[in-house]
Amino acid sequence: MTSPPAQRPNPLHLLAAFASGGLLTLAIFVNGEAGRLGGAMFSSWLAHGVGTIVAIVFLAVVWRGQRAAAAEATAKIGKAPLWAYIGGLLGAVTVMLTSTSVNSPLALAGTLALGLAGQVVLSLAADFWGLLGLPKRRLDLRDAGAVILIATGSLLIILFGLGAA
Amino acid sequence: MIIPILAAFAAGLLVILSRQVNGRLSMSTTPLISSFWNHFVGFVFLTVVGLVLGGLIPANIADMPWWIYTGGAIGVVFVAAGSWLITRIGAVNSTLLVIAGQMVFGIIFDLLRGAPVTIWAAALGVILILAGMALTQRRR
Repeated sequence: MTSPPAQRPNPLHLLAAFASGGLLTLAIFVNGEAGRLGGAMFSSWLAHGVGTIVAIVFLAVVWRGQRAAAAEATAKIGKAPLWAYIGGLLGAVTVMLTSTSVNSPLALAGTLALGLAGQVVLSLAADFWGLLGLPKRRLDLRDAGAVILIATGSLLIILFGLGAA
Repeated sequence: MIIPILAAFAAGLLVILSRQVNGRLSMSTTPLISSFWNHFVGFVFLTVVGLVLGGLIPANIADMPWWIYTGGAIGVVFVAAGSWLITRIGAVNSTLLVIAGQMVFGIIFDLLRGAPVTIWAAALGVILILAGMALTQRRR
């Protein structure tokens, strides 16, 4: 895992990531409405509760394949460390942090813009050092260019594009 | 003002940390099983916090539209997709492409539902994002 894998990602994977961003837009809108009606904590609690049930239903449908795939993965990689189970805890804390900052003078735009900065900084560090058991990726000028273009475009949209001028 | 700034920045860090952690779990299990644990652990934690603080379930819950229950279902797919993707295209590409999709679909969604959009900034933003996406694909 020390040698960086092929640098050029599969275009279909990139397209899937782009599409999943669309799912995120929908989820944020729906959860935002739940938060407006019932509070940020309620919204997050509801989303995690419904998500738990939906995940159980999905797993029940495809359980045989999932169990086989999980057994194979564990045999190859080893058991997951205990900290690998705290993703949901981090997600729950994220909601508390964002609801703090959305209700400050930063408002939604400032929260999104600073959150974007946090995301970019940590993902650069994660790829560079191969943090938390995921593969290391070599970063180059092309990555730097993509970061600058996408971050600038997103900031334009967040700060000036959404909402009336 | 320093507290909300730190909170917003830390939230961004946690989004990525959470995706890394879920991605690691998916390597030893599957993305769907990892997404289940993400939601289950978050649900248990928020239930405990809600019981301690009280007032978790609002009185008007019965009046809320049915579709507010769909956010969690979308989340299961999104989290599973995130784990699947981060182990294949890495953290930077995942972050950039998810943000790109979130912005572009966000503008389309706002236009469709008639929310105000400032066209020049939105259009320029989308052009820069598409250029950045093209760059992640360029052969060196």
